[in-house]
Amino acid sequence: MERLYNDFFGCFGGKYVAEILRTPLDELKHEWLEAMKSKDFKGELDILLTEFAGRPTPLMYAENATKAAGGAKIYIKLEGLANTGAHKINNVLGQALLAKRMGKSRIIAETGAGQHGFATAAVCAKLGLECRVYMGEIDIKRQRPNVFWMELFGAEVEPVRGGAGTLKDAVNEALRDWSSSFETTHYLLGSALGPSPYPDMVREFQSVVGREVECEIKRRDLKVEALIACVGGGSNAIGFFYPFLNKKAPRLIGVEAGGTGNDPGEHASRMSGEGRPGIVHGYKSLFLLDDDGQVGSTHSISAGLDYPGIGPQLAYLGQTKRIEFTKISDSEALDAVQLFSKKEGIIFALESAHAGAEAIKFAESLSPEKSIIVNMSGRGDKDLFILAGILDKNRWYSFLEEEVKGNAG
Amino acid sequence: MPDRIMAHMVAFYPDRESSIEVARALIDGGCNYLEVQFPFSDPTADGAYIQKACMRALEKGFKVHLGFSLISRIRKCSSIPIFIMGYANTVFFHGVEIFLKKCVFSKVQGLIIPDLPPGYDEGIFALGKKAGLKIIPVIAPSIKDDRLDEVMSRDPEYVYAVLRKGITGAYTEIGEDNISFLKKVGAYGVKILAGFGISEKKQVRSLSPHVHASVVGTAFIKEIMNNHRLNPYKVITGKMRGLL
Repeated sequence: MERLYNDFFGCFGGKYVAEILRTPLDELKHEWLEAMKSKDFKGELDILLTEFAGRPTPLMYAENATKAAGGAKIYIKLEGLANTGAHKINNVLGQALLAKRMGKSRIIAETGAGQHGFATAAVCAKLGLECRVYMGEIDIKRQRPNVFWMELFGAEVEPVRGGAGTLKDAVNEALRDWSSSFETTHYLLGSALGPSPYPDMVREFQSVVGREVECEIKRRDLKVEALIACVGGGSNAIGFFYPFLNKKAPRLIGVEAGGTGNDPGEHASRMSGEGRPGIVHGYKSLFLLDDDGQVGSTHSISAGLDYPGIGPQLAYLGQTKRIEFTKISDSEALDAVQLFSKKEGIIFALESAHAGAEAIKFAESLSPEKSIIVNMSGRGDKDLFILAGILDKNRWYSFLEEEVKGNAG
Repeated sequence: MPDRIMAHMVAFYPDRESSIEVARALIDGGCNYLEVQFPFSDPTADGAYIQKACMRALEKGFKVHLGFSLISRIRKCSSIPIFIMGYANTVFFHGVEIFLKKCVFSKVQGLIIPDLPPGYDEGIFALGKKAGLKIIPVIAPSIKDDRLDEVMSRDPEYVYAVLRKGITGAYTEIGEDNISFLKKVGAYGVKILAGFGISEKKQVRSLSPHVHASVVGTAFIKEIMNNHRLNPYKVITGKMRGLL
């Protein structure tokens, strides 16, 4: 799996799209592969990754969390310290530069938690591109701060009302837009899924996370037992794991949203749950489907993990057992946010907190000379309203009431 | 060439029994082919009207096996050629071979699955041929010549030619670009079913010399939605007759 362009990973992947989208996808594949050979393109991307995104992001030894867990040493890749608050910026910079190279003046994107939309809006502001972000109306409600920031960057945020009002519906709407606008517009897909070449391209742009981790492991001579990442569509996980995929160690652990229970509609666990082979959103992978093949409903406290499919390469690596999958519930993720805040002074995004929670559990089972690395793929600033509404409800609500009164008065 | 129409409808829209009435109305109104869409939760090639119709049909209890029963019932009152339109997952999830068997059993003529294009088709073109079903590839004006050759090398009897970019619904003004695209496709000697944004007689008229049939879909759904208090049979026969 050293090739840039694979199309299929085992039986998963492909380009299952209506003919209208084939032309832009073929063009995208061609231009992307050309760009990857270009020193100018890579040079420009590196400068932006350093100066604009703030790379490399730190790898921090979480001494207090390690003591609290009482087992292996926990290291945290602080990917959430990248500009715009998550790993999403890595892929966005790559694709936005590619769009400019292709002469496209407009960018469309889907977003769930808003982190990909936030990064896309910021990069479009920086590079002078027109930007429209599709976001499900449920997600707009639960991630309101990101909507404000996207609009501040000058992006148009388009609420998606059809379907479940979440990430999958935002993808549908972005695909519909692209099928009429591809001549001027690039669809900047935010996860390592969708029709090829997206799974390959997004993985390549995100692999900077894994390469930095690999350097630090060597530099500090760490004995790493496992890497742990949360998995929605899976872009942070595949980027973080990438340099290690063809090696036997360390163990690679993907953490899905366990939500509130095991029944359909209560979680978003494809690999550790009920995922079935399907073809949705232009790719073949494992999806949460009902008994008649309709896309099932999902739930997660974190909008970014609330998606019924998983990137095809991750689905394949799950089948071959190179990646192990597990799940963490809404409440365990909430506990992890609090633990890392109190012990380490960092706020995990609710998505990444699923990986954090698993890291604590996993570390407990290992001896202290071993290490594990967890990817804090995003930071939790965006979750203020959710967290305060749960953890400090009464004071938070009266503050909000006062705010409204104050503004009204 | 005569004005032929392939009329599109969504199975179980507005509900199971009414969708039988819609089918009857389209047939009695004079359509030449019936395209029955099996609703899918995520119809990415469809515009707002068909999306809404699909959501409603699913709420009304559509299941794939019930869709086939519906077609068998339509079959009992008419011998009109019926094509099923659907999305890849509906066919793939139930198993391509099993799905095709059910098509043969319900006397369906063929299938239109836009997101199973030749090359990423799960074997549907080859298996369809073996089963005696017409698998209709969907092509678009942006298609490159070598790709068009590749699609036509599957030797389809029909092709579904999308007349413009984008999704179903929005009105298509038939112009020179459309005609030259249809001429290019027609040169392969296939029967062209042309659609996307066809809602009026004058469009059907301008397409007729260049196509085997025009496809009308959203226009009927719109009629049903805008006249939901009226009997769908009356509304749809009226609309259908007005197109010919």
